[in-house]
Amino acid sequence: MFETEHDFRKLVSGLKIDVEPNPAHRERLHRQMLQVFKQQGVSSLKSEVSRGSPTLPTSHFKLPISYLAVAAVLVIAATLGVWSLVGRGPATFHQVRLATQRMPWLYAVVSRYQAGEVHTERHWYNFAAQKAYAVMDDGSLVSWDFAGSKKLAYSPRLKALTISDLWAPGVGTGSTENLQGVFAVFAAQDDVGGSTAQYDGKAMESFAIEKAESGLSVGGKAVSLLRATAFADPQTKRFVAASIEYQGSGGILAREEWVLSYPQSGPASLGDLGLPASTAVDDRTRQRIGTPSDEPTPISTPAPTSGFRLAPLEIRLPKPMFVGTPQDARTPNLEQPRGSPRPPFLAPVGTKNVALGKPVSSSEEPVIGSLSAITDGDKEATDGSFVELSPGPQYVTIDLQERCEIYAVLVWHYHQWPRTYLDVVVQVSDDRTFKTGVKTIFNNDTNDTLGLGAGRDLSYVETYEGKLLEGKGTQGRYVRLFSNGNTHDDLNHYIEVEVYGRPLH
Amino acid sequence: MVAIMAKPVEQTAYDDLVVLAKTQADALGRLYELYYDRIFRFCVHRLFNRTTAEDVTSSVFLTVARTMRDFKGRTEQDFRSWIYTIAANQANAHIRKTMRRKRLMGNVTGRRWAEDENVDDLAPRDDPEWSRLDWPAVYAAIQELKPEHQTVLTLRFFENMDYDEIGRVVHARPATIRVMLHRTLRHLQEVLRSDS
Repeated sequence: MFETEHDFRKLVSGLKIDVEPNPAHRERLHRQMLQVFKQQGVSSLKSEVSRGSPTLPTSHFKLPISYLAVAAVLVIAATLGVWSLVGRGPATFHQVRLATQRMPWLYAVVSRYQAGEVHTERHWYNFAAQKAYAVMDDGSLVSWDFAGSKKLAYSPRLKALTISDLWAPGVGTGSTENLQGVFAVFAAQDDVGGSTAQYDGKAMESFAIEKAESGLSVGGKAVSLLRATAFADPQTKRFVAASIEYQGSGGILAREEWVLSYPQSGPASLGDLGLPASTAVDDRTRQRIGTPSDEPTPISTPAPTSGFRLAPLEIRLPKPMFVGTPQDARTPNLEQPRGSPRPPFLAPVGTKNVALGKPVSSSEEPVIGSLSAITDGDKEATDGSFVELSPGPQYVTIDLQERCEIYAVLVWHYHQWPRTYLDVVVQVSDDRTFKTGVKTIFNNDTNDTLGLGAGRDLSYVETYEGKLLEGKGTQGRYVRLFSNGNTHDDLNHYIEVEVYGRPLH
Repeated sequence: MVAIMAKPVEQTAYDDLVVLAKTQADALGRLYELYYDRIFRFCVHRLFNRTTAEDVTSSVFLTVARTMRDFKGRTEQDFRSWIYTIAANQANAHIRKTMRRKRLMGNVTGRRWAEDENVDDLAPRDDPEWSRLDWPAVYAAIQELKPEHQTVLTLRFFENMDYDEIGRVVHARPATIRVMLHRTLRHLQEVLRSDS
């Protein structure tokens, strides 16, 4: 009889079980398996050929993340195009195309995962004006004027704005134009459909492509396989998200998650995106080799032109409690430390912490502290400043007391010591029970432990800066934050949660 | 989950192979060579019969061949967890569907290890300490466990996986696995005591 696990292990080790495989079976199965694999490949290839594949550009995408992001838009567009060529399934593509194109603005929040780092970009596309704008997470600004064939790029490091000619027109040369171009090319296709897939807990129309030898490169490595899936809301008939994967010969090179929305307004110039008024301008479109008379003419910095303006959030940070990222806080799928202060986060003027002083409820009564500490504005990692919840999956819900448009959620779980909180999920809803209209803005529960759907966001180490989560303009009254213990223990903690947004009146 | 996430993903020399195997038959063939023995061994330990183990091993690798192109993992660790999950599910499905194992175990418990070829595979070493053990009773007790618990037992004691890895295979937290194993062994003890 065994008494302990150790005894049972000894018991098992005493067994003499013949596990020597039969070589004939091994050989036979080897052949069968490869035959099945090749048959699968042939059927996939036939499927791909029958759809046809638009040619992707090769020369313009050599890294800058903005270029890849533009490429990603192209992929979304190509996805639409490929599916339009298929000409089968429910006639939803036509509706999706029209509904998407009809909107004055398309706003995209792009999360890019590459080599353990996550970069976030925000894009605005104006279909009517054929213009696009982007704000990078390092503070860089870009605008594309497809009608005027000009590109403006602001570098915060150089504190300079460069104006250059846009790439030659045509499919694959610019985001807005690509979308419009593809829409135009496939305007006659009315009977395009995709499949149904779950996205953010809802059934969505899904359009997917997989393309080998895309001609793109990431980090100097060629992209050998590009996978893209775009999701459309069956009710609004508009695209709401896309997922793009760049594969190289050595594995996944990068991955992007696009969340799309359709605001009523957007920027009209880089000035609206926070371009400093004193920025030096370098207009390279005016320089001509061999024509001395064409000297660059000084031009003025673009000034704000519309009512839509972005400004950096004013975030007051607590005192740092430690430096660096110790090993014991590391987890799989962990975001690499930035190594520098967080860049300013731009949000529409008037954005403020709408959670300050608002009521908080939780899944269980706190073990330590009061829930009101979560929205009291005190972010210091001192005793008495935090709330401790029971082990295992727990959540807190903040009632903003009115519907708000949320641009960022800033969370400090506990930053006295470095640790990583597990299965962090942040959701927004107008339903206090979170049974309907739930929108997820962050989810790093990669194996769906919480049962809210598997997330793809990265885990992160708690620091005094807190974790800033893109709100993506999500609208709702209640914000719910889940966690499931941390790398130090099974308990859940909150020091402060700030929700930056604007009330919707 | 806690312990899973607390442990860094191990990078192995075969990560590239896993990615290549999604599109290249040669790479998949190499993965097959790497994993055939392990999966067959797991199936033998799980099903106690070589012929049945071969059948299940075949269905595991044919499933891999059919779905490899859609496999989302990117490391060998991902692949290992995935293929063991497939194997565990196939073995459990086989047991549930055919109940053949019950008969085999009946053979084991009824004939001891003298007459049956399968039982001979399971005979203990010629060690006085082990000769006192009532192996058929232990196996009969294992047979009464839920298939999922049998899977965890096999992964832990025959495949020597740690709690983290078992958790990835059966999609449960390491703490849950630890508790499950503890209870399973206690249950086995109780069954064996009551039988004796």
